[in-house]
Amino acid sequence: MRYHRPGLDVLAHTILIIGALVFMLPVILAVLASTQTPGALFSGTLPLWFGASGLDHYLTLLSEPVRGIGVPAWQLMLNSLLMALGIAIGKLTIAILAAYALVFFRFPFRRCCFWLIFITLMLPIEVRIVPTYGVVADLGLLNSYPGLVLPLIASATATFLFRQFFMTLPPELMEAARVDGAGPWRFFIDILLPLSKTNIAALFVIMFIYGWNQYLWPLVAMSSADNATLVMSLKRLTISQDGTPPWHLATAMTVLSLLPPVVVIVIMQRWFIKGLVDTEK
Amino acid sequence: MSTFQRHRVTPWVLMAPQLIIVLVFFFWPAITALRQSFYVQDAFGLGETFAGLANFTRVLSSQSYHEALFNTAIFSVSVALGAMAIALLLATMADRVLRASRAYRTLLIWPYAVAPAAAGVLWMFMLDPTLGVLSRALEALGVHWDYRLNGHQAMALVIIAAIWQQMSYNFVFFLAGLQGIPASLLEAATIDGAGPWRRFWTITFPLLSPTSFFLLVMNTIYAFFETFGTIDTTTSGGPGGATRTLVYKLYQDGIVGLDLGGSAAQSVLLMLMVGLLTLVQFRYVERRVQYH
Amino acid sequence: MARLELRRLQKRYAGGANVLHDIELSINDGEMIVVVGPSGCGKSTLLRMVAGLESISSGELFIDGDCVNGQEPAERDIAMVFQNYALYPHMSVFDNLAYSLKNRGTPKDEIARRVDETSRLLGIASLLDRKPRQLSGGQRQRVAMGRAVIREPRVFLFDEPLSNLDASLRVQMRQEIRALQQRLNITSLYVTHDQTEAMTMADRLVVMNAGRIEQIGTPMALFRKPATRFVAGFIGSPAMNFLTLAINALPGWLTKVPAETTEPLKGELSVGIRPEHIMLTSSGSGHMDARIELVEPLGSESLVHVRPNGHETRLVVRHAGTELPTAGQLTGLNLQGPFHLFDRHGQRLATRPRLADTTCPMES
Repeated sequence: MRYHRPGLDVLAHTILIIGALVFMLPVILAVLASTQTPGALFSGTLPLWFGASGLDHYLTLLSEPVRGIGVPAWQLMLNSLLMALGIAIGKLTIAILAAYALVFFRFPFRRCCFWLIFITLMLPIEVRIVPTYGVVADLGLLNSYPGLVLPLIASATATFLFRQFFMTLPPELMEAARVDGAGPWRFFIDILLPLSKTNIAALFVIMFIYGWNQYLWPLVAMSSADNATLVMSLKRLTISQDGTPPWHLATAMTVLSLLPPVVVIVIMQRWFIKGLVDTEK
Repeated sequence: MSTFQRHRVTPWVLMAPQLIIVLVFFFWPAITALRQSFYVQDAFGLGETFAGLANFTRVLSSQSYHEALFNTAIFSVSVALGAMAIALLLATMADRVLRASRAYRTLLIWPYAVAPAAAGVLWMFMLDPTLGVLSRALEALGVHWDYRLNGHQAMALVIIAAIWQQMSYNFVFFLAGLQGIPASLLEAATIDGAGPWRRFWTITFPLLSPTSFFLLVMNTIYAFFETFGTIDTTTSGGPGGATRTLVYKLYQDGIVGLDLGGSAAQSVLLMLMVGLLTLVQFRYVERRVQYH
Repeated sequence: MARLELRRLQKRYAGGANVLHDIELSINDGEMIVVVGPSGCGKSTLLRMVAGLESISSGELFIDGDCVNGQEPAERDIAMVFQNYALYPHMSVFDNLAYSLKNRGTPKDEIARRVDETSRLLGIASLLDRKPRQLSGGQRQRVAMGRAVIREPRVFLFDEPLSNLDASLRVQMRQEIRALQQRLNITSLYVTHDQTEAMTMADRLVVMNAGRIEQIGTPMALFRKPATRFVAGFIGSPAMNFLTLAINALPGWLTKVPAETTEPLKGELSVGIRPEHIMLTSSGSGHMDARIELVEPLGSESLVHVRPNGHETRLVVRHAGTELPTAGQLTGLNLQGPFHLFDRHGQRLATRPRLADTTCPMES
């Protein structure tokens, strides 16, 4: 009975369609612009349809070291992918192990460990960027893969979520397993991991996107061109000396940078939403 | 609940990776920042002397820090309110249309996956002074648009890009919150003679307040930190520092300017601000848990 | 099959009070012991200590003469059925049944054979490929039973296994569990808060209250001769009625009086009368008059709640007639034995028959 006014439904659909279009507009325009020849683009006419260049700019970016970037974009994509996977897998692994220990074991200093980990929840890497740079430099990890990934997985979001999930499981499950002769590792592998599948998927999506989209830390930690990631390299095309950026390339590069995470989020929408909404609880 | 009590070593083996990483890459830097904020480095970076609160007084009394603080405040408030208002409107509409809401959700959540830096570039293109679709529309309306020269316009650009990116996050939470409101409550209100507008403000909106509060904190944190990429790719803090936020200034002073003491003091100040936010949120969450 | 021996078992939580005091119990081979008591009486803790899920603070636990205090649940060779069944949600019925055997390294064909045998015994052979969420409550209960049976353990432990089922299924399942236990002849410890379940299933009953054992005995022995007022009130449905009487002014209808003891009795005692031992009669013609407050017709009989004149307590009368009295009416009550007498601490008093002419012994 709350939906009995057809007029309001029409209004709702109208607002939603306009909203969806407005949100899509920048990406649509970027995609259209990335297919224009530089001449057509800079002549000042609006790109209302795909241009004459087709996918040429993408191929150029992927295969050639374009001026300003210095390496082909496929290498940047590979770096981004490795970083995102490293962050997602690394974070999930350490988080699920730590959460398992915190929920299913009693050991001295357990509360202390809990607080040590959970205090990291709200201080993002951007706050401690300078000293983190110092620490990573001291460890000789600048321009290295561990140096890039490790500081980004030093936070407790995933640990927190796994802990929440483990605490919702009926304790009898673990007791039944003990009666059935399962020790801690067997319980973890046979019971806990399979039951965590959806949570792992959800967190994987969130962490993959988080990792792929990192900007400041890669910028600081990866100074050499062939170590750069895709997202941190966007600036090299947008900030140009002579005012107007090479938009045909900049838009193509942006589309390349947003394609993988957007595809992931659309395909894995169900898990993503579940994982995201769980963070509030 | 019973636990694996007899295993003494196993929990430490399980905790070790997380603990080591947190200690090395979180606490070590955080404590270094705290320490450095009380020291001044000499010109060659070779020695340091204890400076008490000198770094803090220097930072807090500098004109550029005040500007950055002001910019951050404007930026965060605009982004949080803007992203939440649009998200609430769209989520309310999506909740109304029931079955179609999932389709709209798909159409509206994907900007979450776009990097803040990429969002910046997308809107930079929309608002490019010579090629941008919107800037041409604005020129037609008689507004002279060039964010590279006009500080207010530069701020507007980064705010729009950030709202565009952050809206989807809010939308997911508001939609989930709305769908969690029992239909019987709204039906009861309808029987009591409340129209849709009244129902929204007297039932739905108050029931969404925990979600709204959570989102306010999350949006503020987003605006404080994650938008670094948005600002760096579009305006680089310019023109004339008009879009230089606290984090951007921290980066410029610490990484580019190599002012260790000053940037450490800024880090500590930022930690205090975020710590305060977190504390407020924890207290709030605790209260919510108690009364439910 | 095994003997179970509990010697002065105690449970203390760090910084807390004792939750179990000196529990002494021996369970014979193949016997079904039901532990019954109100929630919080410590019965589940006791069961979990036997299972090895809770540590034993002091005292000893023997299975077949071996002290198992320090052993893990799996080493004790026990099987447990949980209240919420605790079936592994991601495993099929087959895998749920097979899990403990797999953990012990039982060969595959042996596992298959035993799963087949057990599932046929419990009537779940057609469900082996299903996941727990595809099963009804009764089917889940059977799988949980099967998971316990397949191990051929020395001891079965049941932790309120029927309380998640609806009433009719509960009756059916309790018969099945009892039949299965008798057929397999496995020593069992069964915990419940439901006295009907306890009465119908037990070889011997253990009534617990506030961390102590109140009484141990066969269901009928406990019903006929409850050792404490608590047991008297707990066993039997509807519960026994109690009237508080001054010892020096015991009324004439009481056909029993406390036996003489070395200590002279003072003050008050309480008399327990089962609802079936009170008769309604016309007002003025019985042992006392009472006002009818509520009538609950159950079909073959009715429960009549009355408040006797001059007493604070309400009594429940089991009224067999089909003619229902009306609430508000005055009625007479005839009180017949057997009467159960308890002292101020709730302990059963030894009694002697009252001679027709004697008044209260205290008055003489």
